Order: sequence, then C-alpha cells, then structure tokens
Amino acid sequence: MIKLIEKIEGEAKLDFSFKDGKIDFVDVKFMSTRNIENILKGKRAFDALVINPRVCGICGHAHLIATVQALESCYEDLELSNKAKIMRELTLNFELIQNHFKWFYLTILPFFGHSQQILKATYPTQLMGKAIAIFGGQYPHTSYAIVGGVVCEITQMDIVKCDNYISQTLKFVEDNIVKVDAKTLLEATNSDLLLEYEGDLPNILREIKKEDVLKDAKSYDRFIAFGESSFFKKGKSLKAKVSHKISLEDVKESEVPSSFAKNVSYKDKYYEVGPLARAMINKTPLIVDAHKKHGDSVFSRVLARVYEISTLLNHSKILLKNLDLAEPSYIEPPLDISKLNSSGFSAVEAARGTLIHKVEIKDGIIKNYEIITPTQWNLSGGSREKPGVSQKAMVGLGDIKTAELVFKSFDVCSVCTTH
Amino acid sequence: MKTKMKVLWLSAISCNGNTHSFFNYSQMEQFLEDFEFIYHPVIDSKYLLQDIVSQDIECDVLLIEGAISKEFKRADLSIVDIIQRYSKRVKKIVTVGTCATFGGIFRESGYEKTSGLHFDQEKRVDTFKSLLDKTISLSGCPVHPEVLVNTLYAIKKDITLKVDEFLRPKEFYAYTVHNGCTRNEYFEYKVDNHNFGELEGCMFYDHGCQAPFTHGSCNKILWNEVNSKTRAGLPCMGCTEPSFPRQNLFSTKKNMAIPEHLPVGVNKRVYLTLAGITKAFKIDRLEKKLFDD
Repeated sequence: MIKLIEKIEGEAKLDFSFKDGKIDFVDVKFMSTRNIENILKGKRAFDALVINPRVCGICGHAHLIATVQALESCYEDLELSNKAKIMRELTLNFELIQNHFKWFYLTILPFFGHSQQILKATYPTQLMGKAIAIFGGQYPHTSYAIVGGVVCEITQMDIVKCDNYISQTLKFVEDNIVKVDAKTLLEATNSDLLLEYEGDLPNILREIKKEDVLKDAKSYDRFIAFGESSFFKKGKSLKAKVSHKISLEDVKESEVPSSFAKNVSYKDKYYEVGPLARAMINKTPLIVDAHKKHGDSVFSRVLARVYEISTLLNHSKILLKNLDLAEPSYIEPPLDISKLNSSGFSAVEAARGTLIHKVEIKDGIIKNYEIITPTQWNLSGGSREKPGVSQKAMVGLGDIKTAELVFKSFDVCSVCTTH
Repeated sequence: MKTKMKVLWLSAISCNGNTHSFFNYSQMEQFLEDFEFIYHPVIDSKYLLQDIVSQDIECDVLLIEGAISKEFKRADLSIVDIIQRYSKRVKKIVTVGTCATFGGIFRESGYEKTSGLHFDQEKRVDTFKSLLDKTISLSGCPVHPEVLVNTLYAIKKDITLKVDEFLRPKEFYAYTVHNGCTRNEYFEYKVDNHNFGELEGCMFYDHGCQAPFTHGSCNKILWNEVNSKTRAGLPCMGCTEPSFPRQNLFSTKKNMAIPEHLPVGVNKRVYLTLAGITKAFKIDRLEKKLFDD
C-alpha cells in the first residue's frame, strides 16, 4: 500500500507492507533531486556561498554556515574573530527557532484534531527573520557569512533591536507554548510536571500520552551530533550513555536503489539526529527525564524540538551580551582563494540535526562537493533486516495515519533529503 | 460573505524559498481572509496534491515556484501537464521567483530543457506562448513577500499593472536595487576602498555588487521590514535578473579598470567622464569611519 506523504517541503512515498494487521516494513522513497552537488562542480569556491543556501527554503542558513566553515577548513592559518563566530551562531540559532515554530504549529497540530495555527507559526517566525536580517540583510537566502568572517558591521542599536526580538519571542513562548515564566521552564527537570501547565505544548503532549499506539513507536535509541557550538556538544548517546569521542571518518553515505535519498550510517549503524539527539548529548535535564520515561518516542521528539526554542532563545541572549563590538567582523584570508588547492569539511547543527559539507578545491574552483543532510540520517531507507531510523519507528504500528505522524515527528524535509 | 480568491501554489524544481519568504508577509491574517489556497506546499488546503493532479479543480490564480522541465513530476504527473491543465482555467498565472521566471539556479539541475515558464534566461521559450497575456513574472531569489502579495491583490482588484519586457510589474521592478542603499554616497563619490565587515563603503567597485544594474525594490521596501543585503554589506547578487546566478559573485569584473557592467542606462563614456569628475572630490567625511570619535 503506497501513501504519498505531502507538505514536507515536497513529497515522499511510503510503501507499507503489513503482516497480521501490523506494519512489518516501510519502503521510503524520495522521488526527485536537484543535483546541487553537480551544479557546484566547476564553480568558483565563493559562489557556493550563494548557491548553497538555495538547497532549502527553511534551513538554507545552516547550508550557508556549513559552506563557509567547509571552505575555511581548506585554509591552514585562517583567522576568525570571536565576534564573527558569535554572529554566525546567533543567526543559525534564529533559523532553528523559526523552523521549530513552523513544524509545531503547521505540521504536528493537525494530527491531533486541530487546524493549523498559521498566525502562531508566522508571528514568532517573522521576529526571528528580522533578527537574522539585522546581521544578514534578509531572511531567507542571505550569504552574509564569508570566508574570514561576516560582511556586516553592527552597532549598539542593532544589539538593542536584536535583544528585543528575542525578548518578544520569549514572551510569545510564555503566552502560548507553555504558560509559565521562561525561567521556570528552563529550570524544569520533570516532564510529568510540565504536563500540568497550560499551553499549546502541554496540550499536545497530553494527547500524545493518551495514544497508546505511540508508546511503542520507538527506534534504536541511538543518537549522534557532529556540530559543535558554544551551546551544542558533539557526541553520541547509546541508551542514554553519552560519549564525545566520535569521528566524521566513520560516517558513510550509500546509495538506495529505490530512492534519491542516500542513506547515512556511523560505523555501519543508523543513528537519529536532531533536537532530541542534541538534548541527549547535551544532557538537558528535562529531555533526559522525558527520555527515561518515554524513550525515543514521538513524545520525547516533540518535547525536545519545541523545548529547544526556549533553550536557544535563552542562550542567544547570553551570546548577544558577549559580543565585543571592538573586534573586527572580518579578517582577510591569508591567501587568495584562486591560489588554493585543498580540501575540507564541516559539520553544523541544522534544525533537523547534523549537516555535513565536504569540498575539494583546485585553483579556487570546486572540483567536488558533497552534502549529507540531517534528514538523510533520519529518513533514508534501510533494508528489512536493517531498517533506517524512521522505518524502525514505524514497524509494528497498525495504521498508516499513525505511521505518518511518526514519520513527520522527525521533521521531514524532502528538498534537503535529496538536494 | 466575501468570496475568497482561489489560488493554486504549484512547486516545480525549487528549494521552497519563496514559500518561506511568503511566510514573512506581515498582514497574514488579512491575507488569509481574502485568499484561499486550493493547494499550498505547507499550508493545509481543501485538496491534496493527488486531487489537484487527478481532477480539474476551480481556481483563479496559478502560482508557479521553481524551474520547469517536462521531465520533472509532482505526484507522478509532469509539471508541464499540470501547468497546462490549470493555466486554461485561471484568470492569471504568476511565476514566483527567478527559477520559475528565468530558470535560475535550478536551470542547471540536469533535467531535460529546464527553464522558466516563458524565459530561458533572456531567451523566449515558446512552450507556453499562448499564456503570455495572462502571465505576470515576479523574479527574485526569493521573491519579496510584499511583491507577491500585493500583486495578488492587484489581480483580485482588477488593477492593470504595467510590466517590463520580462512581464515584471514596473511598480516593483522599475527601480534598481541600488535605489535606497545606505551606501549610496560611497558610490556617488567613487570612494572605492570597500572592505567587508564595515558600515562604510560601496561594494560595486571591487566586490561584485550588482545593485546598480539589477531591477528590484529591495532597498525601497526592505527585507523582513528591517534591512537589505547591500545595507548589511553583502553585494547584490543580481537575483532578480535572467542572468542569475552569474559567476565569481564576490568580485567585480573589470576591463581596463572599468567595471564590465555599468549602472542601467549609463554608457561607458558617460561613466568615465563622471569618474573623472568624482576623482576630483576628496570628501573627508567619507574617507573616515561613520561613527568618528
């Protein structure tokens, strides 16, 4: 039985096979690609800063940051100011936050008998867009992060404006998402107590908890994150045991016969990436507690993604305070890119998880470019014997509607998956 | 009850950037009272994509996002067939963004004969020739939400928009992106020592800024209501033009020290004369930091 899954920044086909009334395998197919990696071949290296945000309309900024970091890793002695690093981290945080609002109000709510809340999705999203535009000029599709720093200079007043956009977004969270002051929510450690509050998040979590079928829709309980920032830690979590020793060399990408989405594994095993993975590796108390009670289920995944809005807003406030305007925004690279023969890579935490870019440059021209997106980790297909992360979570369910919710709980992005 | 205008938002070979740019429209509540999407890539609609491709649903305006190739399918049907079906019944067709208008970045995706609806970069494409009269082109990567929404209101209110040679409304595309840039004085007086990471300086002379020869209202209506790329210090990449993306985007191509692409309507002789005169100026204020101690 084939079901076309729509409104996931494109479409995917889920081909379900049932045995004794239960799903025993789901073939995941992404039907088209735009061949971004081929488009990049032969182009000037810096042009990738303009092309790559166009991989995706909702997480294009993560592609910009991954591109600039991959290009910078091609240099040996490139200098970057702390100020530029902070600005990049801020704008990337803001992109993650806007994504999570959209996903919660536009994708998740309709599964529980509510209509989409378009205005609740767009209001905080627009605030985050404005915050990015202060630095980048516009959102989506800025290319403001360039090799050596960022193109912009900012002023005291820009910081005041940005701080207010963050505060106003925090206020939206307090008035809508969880009706409690931001500080209490940040300090929360018990996911059961969270359910006693009013607000759109506890409402949905209570409904998820009621659905018995969702309790068993679990995957491997293996998480990984390669992107590092002043907030996110790199590492993996196996049944809540965290280690930080991981290497990108152990990541493998391989073709899937029926789909344009190549699958990705770490030491030949599939891992989940995204907000739940990040919170497990960061040992965020509330999420670790939810995971203890609910495992790697829809409950934990929804909570982790929406809770990341609060933690990132809070951290962004701190980052903003740490900006030293006396530092330079941009430091010219020691070597003109046209003289560069090198290769490099980067890993950043995008809205949906670890995003990896790899580049090879000859005389400043791109010889090869590879992109591994978060959704490839979570959604690409494995085999019956060794199902992928989302496949494993869907096996054993009794109906397609529930399976669609489980699939979308990973925050599907079709354009990224195949790029 | 007011009748809502029915809009079909169809994505072809795209990144959905226009979809998300549209979400930045600030009067969304009013918009949703005046318009209804019979299909949209993110917003819930009465019909599924499967219904759209298998039935013939009533619709007033067709929005196309993304580059077009017969080879590219949505829900197993060629995008060209879907466009053909709905273009007959709608009042207007709007190409949303540079890919749908000129081919844009995804013109190079590798699908057979990929282009915009009526243009392959600057060249006319004849596949949809009969639809020329009802098409409005809104280029931009992405298109500004005000440009899209206000064009939809123009259609709803039967306002005839004057358009340019590429069918772009002059209201938005008669301006150059240069208009309204806060760095204009550095351009006018040819202060050509721009460095990235500074409030001062103009990116036209060295860093590839295409604003003086790119049509658009970026610096008139601003992005996200607060800023623009060039104001922030990022060169205009010419994303509303048929040539987008050009190559070597962060660098100004010059012949004998003269930029290859000059401001719209300015010929080389005039440019040289003007450059000679501006060289005579030495304006202290523009040589120094804006926020001087």
